[in-house]
Amino acid sequence: MNLTAGAQRFVKRNLTLEDVLPTQMPVYVNSVWYLFGATALMGLVLIILTGLVMCFFGPTWYHFSPIGHYVNSMHFWSTQLFFVGLVLHLVVKFMMAAWRDHRWSTWVWGLLSLSAAIFAGLTGFLMQTSWDSQWIAVQAKDAMNAIGIGGFFNTLNTGQMLTVHVAVVPTVTLIFIGIHLLLVRRDSPVKPISPKPAKAGAPAAGEKVGPR
Amino acid sequence: MSRRSDEYQAGVPQKSYDLLFEGFIVLGVVLAIVVVLAAVVGSPDYPTVRATDVATLQPVAFDQTAATILSGQSSLQTYGPPYTNDNDNAQKILGISPATWAGVRIPIDAAKVLVLDPLAKLAQLSPQVATALDEYNTASSDQQDAWNTAYLKALDDATVSNGRVHVTNGDYGPVPTMVDGLRSLAAAGLLEGALQSDLRIPYSLDNTRALLFFEDDVDHNVAGSLDMLGSQWGIVHETGAYPGAWWLGPYALFYQIPPMNASPNGDLQVALIMLVIFLILMFLPVIPGLNLIPRGIHLYRLVWRDWYHRPDGSGGEAPTGTL
Repeated sequence: MNLTAGAQRFVKRNLTLEDVLPTQMPVYVNSVWYLFGATALMGLVLIILTGLVMCFFGPTWYHFSPIGHYVNSMHFWSTQLFFVGLVLHLVVKFMMAAWRDHRWSTWVWGLLSLSAAIFAGLTGFLMQTSWDSQWIAVQAKDAMNAIGIGGFFNTLNTGQMLTVHVAVVPTVTLIFIGIHLLLVRRDSPVKPISPKPAKAGAPAAGEKVGPR
Repeated sequence: MSRRSDEYQAGVPQKSYDLLFEGFIVLGVVLAIVVVLAAVVGSPDYPTVRATDVATLQPVAFDQTAATILSGQSSLQTYGPPYTNDNDNAQKILGISPATWAGVRIPIDAAKVLVLDPLAKLAQLSPQVATALDEYNTASSDQQDAWNTAYLKALDDATVSNGRVHVTNGDYGPVPTMVDGLRSLAAAGLLEGALQSDLRIPYSLDNTRALLFFEDDVDHNVAGSLDMLGSQWGIVHETGAYPGAWWLGPYALFYQIPPMNASPNGDLQVALIMLVIFLILMFLPVIPGLNLIPRGIHLYRLVWRDWYHRPDGSGGEAPTGTL
């Protein structure tokens, strides 16, 4: 078994250069409703860039420095736009029933990405080292304790939350989003819903959603 | 394109497209919005609640907090896992309590860790506190309870003058001296350090104890004054007019309605509901009825409006997907 050859075959079969950097798109991809995913992605780019700057100066930097406060504000609003893009992307993909034609796994990895992003947001709020963090920490600990993970994911442990926020959750989120994007590009945009309901003998609702 | 895409897109008209150009346009728009909002609106930075502030500005509240913890009547004293082994107090549904599965992972005896231990440090500097602490530690638990109960009751009618807390005369034993000492430690800005200093000094990245000290009445009063309680949808906004985790609105919603809004097991109930919602969302594509909602609400016609109105009339015919 040659793992490298297998990886080559996987890439050739699933992700050509045209998939990664497309120069053509189906004509039905022609509205601003398609841009919310890109909005979320670009919000994520800004979150990472501003987050990297803050990594050098620490989570309390912005309390004492006007520049730090501005960078923190950019991080904050990038996060807000990221979630605006993410939530609208989810709503639009639901409206489009974008899981059709064997795209269920794309839908699932998108939801997992949203879940990871929510944890990233929570740990980010805890890193503000402000009253908001203080209050969210004591409130969130009850929820974590109730579901049995409070002993391992302690919202009151600032050191743990910092490393989780800057390393663990972003890594997991990026992996999930990466898989989601790979599936999106591999499968190409889902076709429009037929305006006419499926006829007898045609595939039933939800029938063509699973893996091939 | 990949073989899969080639097969799927067979017969579908294609148009020229520039992914990177579109990406840069979106990045530019998002960046512009962020730059302007960061400059004009900024971000929240409300000061923390510090022990020194509470001790100097609200000395009675501080004393009530300290005396409550010392008496063992704080919520933390019998919280259950992961702090104490009071499994009966852990949240549960139908007898199932995930909180108990991992046991006591962060052991905290509130009276000892949050009051007696810092006082033991202060006793090194204050003979008065040392004597009081010794008297308290050598007394019977019944005697300690009697002092604590009497002092807590007296604090309800306490007055403040010249920064000192005054209560009516009574048999409180060494408790007032101990609480006074702890308040002095807090007023000097040393309480948080004393709470954390027996961990991995000089490195202290774990603020569990300091954050738990005021978690009952003091934190709740501050949160209430800032509209941040759970019953005020606190999670979806931050201090001031700043948005918070508004994307958790559905999560916060379930805390507003019965029985979750008054249940001691509310956190677990809401978590279970959110898990069910997540699973429904995940399996929605194969849930009969639910997977037909998009067709019913017709909003997809907005997304593909151009396609359905193609001049050649091909929209909605052969290349369209099934539902």
